[in-house]
Amino acid sequence: MDLRVNIGGLTLANPVGVASGTFGYGDEYAGLFDIDRLGALYTKAVTPEARAGNRTPRLADTPAGMLNSIGLANPGLDSFITDKLPALRQRRCAVIVNVAGTCPEEYQAVVERLETVEGLAGYEINISCPNVKAGGLALGTDLKLVESLTRRLRDCRQRPERPLIVKLSPNVTDIAEIARAAEAGGADAVSCINTLVGMVIDVQKQRPVLAMGTGGLSGPAIRPVGVACVYKVSRAVGIPIIGLGGIGCLDDALQYFLAGASAIQIGTALFRRPECALEILDGLAPWLEANHLSSVTEIKRLLKV
Amino acid sequence: MKRFDSTVTELQPVASDYFRITFQWPVTLPLPQPGCFLTVSAGSGFDPALRRPFAFSDVDPARGTAAFIFQRRGRGTAWLAERRPGDSLDVLGPLGAGFRAPPSGARPVLVAGGIGLGPMLFLARQLHQTAAAGRNEVPILVLGYRSASQAPSVDLPPGSVICTDDGMRGFHGSAVAYLDQLADALPPYYYACGPVAMMAAIDRLAAARAGQADWQAATEQWMACGVGACQGCVIPFKDGGFKRCCADGPVFNGRMVDWVGLQE
Ligand SMILES: Cc1cc2nc3c(=O)[nH]c(=O)nc-3n(C[C@H](O)[C@H](O)[C@H](O)COP(=O)(O)OP(=O)(O)OC[C@H]3O[C@@H](n4cnc5c(N)ncnc54)[C@H](O)[C@@H]3O)c2cc1C
Ligand SMILES: Cc1cc2nc3c(=O)[nH]c(=O)nc-3n(C[C@H](O)[C@H](O)[C@H](O)COP(=O)(O)O)c2cc1C
Ligand code: FES
Repeated sequence: MDLRVNIGGLTLANPVGVASGTFGYGDEYAGLFDIDRLGALYTKAVTPEARAGNRTPRLADTPAGMLNSIGLANPGLDSFITDKLPALRQRRCAVIVNVAGTCPEEYQAVVERLETVEGLAGYEINISCPNVKAGGLALGTDLKLVESLTRRLRDCRQRPERPLIVKLSPNVTDIAEIARAAEAGGADAVSCINTLVGMVIDVQKQRPVLAMGTGGLSGPAIRPVGVACVYKVSRAVGIPIIGLGGIGCLDDALQYFLAGASAIQIGTALFRRPECALEILDGLAPWLEANHLSSVTEIKRLLKV
Repeated sequence: MKRFDSTVTELQPVASDYFRITFQWPVTLPLPQPGCFLTVSAGSGFDPALRRPFAFSDVDPARGTAAFIFQRRGRGTAWLAERRPGDSLDVLGPLGAGFRAPPSGARPVLVAGGIGLGPMLFLARQLHQTAAAGRNEVPILVLGYRSASQAPSVDLPPGSVICTDDGMRGFHGSAVAYLDQLADALPPYYYACGPVAMMAAIDRLAAARAGQADWQAATEQWMACGVGACQGCVIPFKDGGFKRCCADGPVFNGRMVDWVGLQE
């Protein structure tokens, strides 16, 4: 069975990827399953300068999910290129860099520089991180900014074979509008969803569990939100959609494909069961065969609404 | 490290709300060292979504088992306390870097508070063995409890000291108060695992004593991945930076850790 999918000119060996921020730079999970079988690996966000991240605690457990307020902790662009990229390049799966910054110029600085190095398959533009004060979510909720940022990055890109994937936030009134703005700015694809803003309060201590107060909610709890977002966005844009949010098993992934996704990412579920990504991958071909389909992109046609 | 389905061989209450759980440890895996930990997936499906970390308290290569001691606190540990021999247990480990050997000529003084018991017992037993082989001085294990009823019924190595706040058993006062008055021909070298307030007090003691540039602290932090990928479990350091508890620790030089920042 041919599981290949096309994301804005980039062919992925299969539609199963691992989500930014949950998989580090790949080698952390190397002993636990065969990473090379994945279709794509989305790195932790890369910003121009190193970021230490937020104060602790950064994590809280929630019903069927979790909150995080990592704060885009990453070693910065230089260190990413010298320390992380050499090992990532050895991977057989497509390596897509999650790009973040506090202003459009910072996003541009990251993409411009990465255009000069080999071994990357594309960019996922994180305009939707709820855990940083500047940039992040603020960028991702403004239609004009989304369009102009996307156009700016598209214009500085030297390698059109590396798709520009804009990662959308569910923390907006109408995610479809934002997707349209990204498409108008020249995005090759969108991924949705990033985390939802959430808060857990420790009743005994009468204060939020997270040092930053709020964080991003992820895991099975947000899956219905993610599926609805993909469904809405698929009716609004013509570019491919990468679906994520709470995927942990084949049925979860199929919901996203039915809603209109061409590929998926697995995040929080890896924490509980790292190899679930490969279990989903292994379940896809038999499911397609049983349903007389020849590719994953045909799945969406089965949805009856 | 590996994720696998192990089988519980024993669940033994050791104090009120404290249990020791023993489970199969495949011979093909590296033997866990004191200070290393594992994560277990508690409950079923993806609820709770996060695995729970625990420090090893025991390994028995001959029987092919490992164990940890845990306190029932929330839903994950309540689920663990209901496991019975023969039940399966989803384990990921061994994880983290364990304790380093003590400097020569120093007295290893091991301090355990609350759920710090498991890793300290494990280390104490190992240091007794290496002391018998002449590799280090004989260690002292110091355990601190609020009351005598909280003190666990486990086999303690010879020379262990129990401290109770109510004075009903052993030394009357905290474990740190005991350390403070301890007179020994050898300079102490601290190892500790327990509540942050206790760790901070040990750090002040270590700082006050000349020549204590280093002590070994087994730290704890909420974890998501447990393997170094998510940056969720970081411990603040006095230099303003952070280190990942799971992958860079959980054992750190206690002098470097920002205990005040961790407590807040
Ligand atoms: C490296 C490491 C080693 C550990 N070793 C042991 C051990 O040997 N024995 C043991 O009993 N416990 C140990 N813990 C703590 C243990 O992981 C928590 O007690 C457990 O996860 C609680 O799960 P729960 O679902 O029962 O509680 P929850 O319902 O999740 O929480 C109950 C309470 O426990 C606290 N808590 C939960 N997780 C942590 C954590 N990771 N760090 C600090 N506080 C927490 C919360 O503040 C909450 O008030 C260790 C933690 C780490 C990081
Ligand atoms: C610990 C953690 C760190 C994350 N870091 C990033 C990040 O750096 N960039 C980003 O775009 N998304 C980040 N995310 C969001 C995930 O990529 C994903 O969009 C979200 O968690 C929903 O998917 P899930 O429910 O499968 O985890 C992070 C999520 C978690 C849990
Ligand atoms: S728990 Fe993810 S980095 Fe430590």
